[in-house]
Amino acid sequence: MPSEAVGRRPEGWGQAGVASANGRPTGAPAIDGLAAGRVLHPGSAAQVADALADAVSQGLAVAPLGGGTALALGNVPDRLDLALSTAALGDVIAYEPGDLVLSVGAGARLADVQALLAEHGQELPFEAPRGDRATIGGLVATAIAGPRRLANGTLRDLLIGIAVAHPSGTVTRAGGMVVKNVTGFDLPRLYHGSLGTLGVIVSANFKVVPAPRHEATVLAVTPDLAAALAAAKSVGGLASRPGALEVMLDGEGWTVAARFFGRPGTVDSAVAAAKGVLGEGTRRLEGAASTAWWRRYVDGQAIEVGPDEVMVRAAVRPRDSGSLAEAILGVIGEHGVTSRAVSVSPGLGTVVARLGFPQAPDGAPALRRVQRALLGVADHVTILAAPPAWKAGLDVWGEPPATLDVMRALKSQFDPERTLNRGRFAGHI
Amino acid sequence: MDQTTLVARLEAVVGPTGVFHRPADLLVYEYDGSVDGAVDTARPAAVVLPTSAEQVAAVVRIANEAELPVVARGAGTGLSGGAVAQRGGIIVSLSRMDRILDVDRDDRTALVEPGVINLELSEHTLPGGHFFAPDPSSQKACTIGGNVAENAGGPHCLKYGVTTNHVLGLEVVLPDGRIVWLGGRAAHTPGYDLTAALVGSEGMLGIVTKALVRLTPAPEATLVLLAAFGDIDGASQAVSSVIAAGVLPAALEMMDALTIQAVEPAYHAGYPLDAGAVLLIELDGATDEVRETGEEVAALCAAAGATAVRAATAKAERDLLWKGRKMALAAMGRLAPNYYLHDTVVPRSKLPITLRRVGEVAREFDIPIANVFHAGDGNLHPLMLFDRRERGAVERVLAASNELLHFCVSPEIGGALSGEHGIGTEKRDHITLVYTADDLAAMAGVKNAFDPRLTFNPEKLFPKGYMCGEVRALRAQALAQKHGIYAF
Ligand SMILES: Cc1cc2nc3c(=O)[nH]c(=O)nc-3n(C[C@H](O)[C@H](O)[C@H](O)COP(=O)(O)OP(=O)(O)OC[C@H]3O[C@@H](n4cnc5c(N)ncnc54)[C@H](O)[C@@H]3O)c2cc1C
Repeated sequence: MPSEAVGRRPEGWGQAGVASANGRPTGAPAIDGLAAGRVLHPGSAAQVADALADAVSQGLAVAPLGGGTALALGNVPDRLDLALSTAALGDVIAYEPGDLVLSVGAGARLADVQALLAEHGQELPFEAPRGDRATIGGLVATAIAGPRRLANGTLRDLLIGIAVAHPSGTVTRAGGMVVKNVTGFDLPRLYHGSLGTLGVIVSANFKVVPAPRHEATVLAVTPDLAAALAAAKSVGGLASRPGALEVMLDGEGWTVAARFFGRPGTVDSAVAAAKGVLGEGTRRLEGAASTAWWRRYVDGQAIEVGPDEVMVRAAVRPRDSGSLAEAILGVIGEHGVTSRAVSVSPGLGTVVARLGFPQAPDGAPALRRVQRALLGVADHVTILAAPPAWKAGLDVWGEPPATLDVMRALKSQFDPERTLNRGRFAGHI
Repeated sequence: MDQTTLVARLEAVVGPTGVFHRPADLLVYEYDGSVDGAVDTARPAAVVLPTSAEQVAAVVRIANEAELPVVARGAGTGLSGGAVAQRGGIIVSLSRMDRILDVDRDDRTALVEPGVINLELSEHTLPGGHFFAPDPSSQKACTIGGNVAENAGGPHCLKYGVTTNHVLGLEVVLPDGRIVWLGGRAAHTPGYDLTAALVGSEGMLGIVTKALVRLTPAPEATLVLLAAFGDIDGASQAVSSVIAAGVLPAALEMMDALTIQAVEPAYHAGYPLDAGAVLLIELDGATDEVRETGEEVAALCAAAGATAVRAATAKAERDLLWKGRKMALAAMGRLAPNYYLHDTVVPRSKLPITLRRVGEVAREFDIPIANVFHAGDGNLHPLMLFDRRERGAVERVLAASNELLHFCVSPEIGGALSGEHGIGTEKRDHITLVYTADDLAAMAGVKNAFDPRLTFNPEKLFPKGYMCGEVRALRAQALAQKHGIYAF
C-alpha cells in the first residue's frame, strides 16, 4: 500500500503528471476542460476521508476519480482543484463464492471483477461501457448500466453494502455482506447515482449470481423503425423473456437484437421462438460471439463525444418508447443535426442517441434548442456528453424535480461546503 | 392546540367517521404485530383515516401546527413497533386508501394506494399473468405502504428481490405537508434517488400515498420440491450445495422438526413427521429448464443426505406443500400460547453454525425454539415459544433473543440485525452493535434533510436519547478537534 504517498501533509502526496508511489501514472485529469491542479491516490478509506477533510479546511473543490470513463457526465464543474483517485483502492476485500457475495474497493475495474467471479462460475449480471477501465465506484456513482438492465436491473439492485468517505473526515458504512438487510436507512441505494456529490465511495458490496450456462443472440434487420419496434414488442412478450432487447439504427436500417441466457436447451427454444416472431433473415450469435457482440454494442455507448458531437439519453414510460424514438428522429430532422447512432431500449423506455452538430464549433445555441425540444417529447432528458463550451450554462440533467429542495438539504447535510463535484449534479448541486 | 380543537380540525378534513379519539377506539392502535414487552405500547392523541393524499397532507399540516408527531400505519402487522406512536400524536391510518388505481400490462406496473393488501394485488393481477413478487408471510393482511416502509421481503425474494427492487415511484406526503412524486414511470429521474431513501425508511421520511410498483410475469412452469432430512445440519448442507451448484431457486425455505410437528397435524401438508428438517425448494422459469434443474436439485439433496425428496408440479399439490409453510406461524398456537419471532440474516455458509447456536440457546434459556425461515437468503426466523402468563417468560425470551442477536452480528458471523422486520423501537438500542456513531450520523443526515423538525415517527431506528441534530454538532466538534479546522 502506498502509504507514503498519502499523508496528512499535502506536499507528500502524488503530484499531477508524476507517477504515484504505487507506480500508476497520474496525468492531470480534466473535467470539461477544467484541469485538477492536483491528483491524489489515497490508499485507504481513512486516507480518502483525511484528504477530504483537508480539502474542506483549505476550501478546495474536489472531484472523485475512478477509471475516467464517464468524466463527461454532468454539468461543467463550478470549480475543480483536486482530483481524488480511487486507483489505489482497487482490492478485492472479500469474496465468498459459497455465499454469493463480494466486497471490492471502489477502484476495482469491472472487467477484473467479472474475471474473478467467472473463475467461480459467477457474475455480476451487469455490464457497462469500457468495463476494462470503468471502476466499481464510478459505476455506482454514475448509475450507468447496460441493456441487461431489462432483466437484471442495475447495480442498485445488486448493492448490499457500501463504505463512503465524507467531507467531514469520517468513513461510514451502511448495509453489510448479507443479501437481505433492513438495518437503518438504505444509504447504499441513495449513493447509487449520486455522482460522488455526497461522499467518495471507497468500497461496495454486492450480491452476485451464478453465471448463466449459455447465451445466444438473435439479430433481425428491418427497413424502418416502426417495424423494428413492433418486432421487438413481440419478442419482449415471449414466455422465454430476453435478458436484453434493443433496437438500433444500423446503416440505413434498424436492427432488433434479443439476447437470451440459460441452459443450452432453454436458450435454443428461446431463440427458436424469437426467430418465429422475427421472421426470415435473422442471424444467430452463439456463446462467445454473442458476448462479444454485446460488448461492442455497449462500448459504443461510452460517455464521450467528438468535438462536433452530443450524446443524449431520453426516457419515457416503456410503452411509449416507440413514439419517443419517432419524436426524437423528428427533433433531429427539425434542428439540422444528424443521428450517428440511435439505440432504443423498448422494455426500459429509453433512447440513447449520438448526434452530429454541423453547427460546430459553435453548437451551444443548437444544443440549447435540441434540449428544449427533447424535454418536450420525453419525461427526462440527460445530455450525457457534449463539448464543454456547449454545456456551460445548461443543466445537462434537464428540469430538476419538485424535490430539489430536499436534494439540496441532503447535499448540505453530507457536504455543506459543496466540496464534492461542485455544480455537476442535477440542479447544479 | 387542545384535544377538542384538534379533533374538530381533523374532522373538518376527513369527516367525523374518519377520526378516532375515544380511549376505547384508540386501544388497538397502541400495538402493532410486535410482542408486547419487546416493544412498548403507546396511545396516540387521535387516529385519522384519510381517503386521499390531499387529506393526508392536510392532516400533516394540522399536526405541524399542533406540534404533534405523525405516525403512518398500514395494517399494523409490523414486528418492530414501527406503527406505534411512541410519543403520542396523530396516527395516520392508510387503510381506507385501498384502491388499485391502474394495472399496465405493457409496462408491467401497478399504481396502487398504500392501503392495498399485498396479496390482493397479486390476486388482482394474476389472471392476466402477472404478480407482485414481494410476498411476506403476512401477505393476507399487510399493506403495500407497510411493505414499502419496511422494505419487506418474503420467500420469493430469493430470486426476485425485496420490495425496493419492485418500487418504481412513490407519491409521498413530506413532513412539511407537501405532496410530491419520487421516481416514476420513466427511468432516470434527475437527482438523488429519493425513492431508494424512502423504501425501508420506516415511516420516518414521508407518508406513502401512492406506489408505482413493478409487476412480474408469472413463470411458464413452477416446480416445488420437498426434501426431508434427518437433522437441520443436513438440510443446511443441502442449502449450501444448491447455492454452490449455481442454481437460483425462486424460494428455498427451511422448517425444523418442531415446526413440522406444529404444522403437519393441523394442515396435512405432507411433511414427514419423523424428519429433523424439511426444505421447500421452488424452481420456476421455462418448462425444460425447470425440469432439468429440478432433477439436479433433487440429486443434490440426495447427496446431502435427504431421506426423501418429493416433487410437485400441479398447482393444488404445490399449494398444499406451501400451505404448511405459510400457516406455520398460525400453527404455533398448538405448541404455545405466545411466540416471539426473531429476524436476523447470516451469510449462507454460516447457517449450520448459527442454527447450532440457536439450538444451544434454546437449551440454555429453556425455551422451545422452532425454526421456519428463508434459508436461501440466510434470513433466520427462530420462533421462541412461551406463555406470557408464566412469570419471567417474556424476559427470558428477550434475553435469549438478545443472545442470538449478538451472536449473529458478531464479527465471526457477520450477519445483519434485521432482514425484513426493521429496527423500529424493537432493535433501536441494538443498532449500535452494527453501526458506529459516524454511520448513524450519516443516516441522521438523511432524516434531517427530509424531516428537520423530526416529527415523522419519532423514537424509531436511532438509539434512545439520540438526537439527529446533536450528532451532527458532535461530529463537527470531533472534526474540529482532529484537524483544528472550522467545520460545518
Ligand atoms: C405473522 C407475520 C408474518 C410476517 N412475515 C413477514 C415476512 O415474511 N416478511 C416481512 O418482510 N415481514 C413480515 N412480517 C412483518 C410485517 O408484516 C411487514 O413489515 C409489513 O410490511 C408491515 O405492513 P403493515 O401494513 O402491517 O405496516 P404497519 O405495521 O402498519 O407499519 C409498519 C411500518 O410502516 C410504516 N408505514 C405504514 N404505512 C405507511 C405508509 N403508507 N407510508 C409510510 N410509512 C408507512 C409505519 O409507520 C411503520 O413504521 C410479518 C408479520 C407477521 C405478523
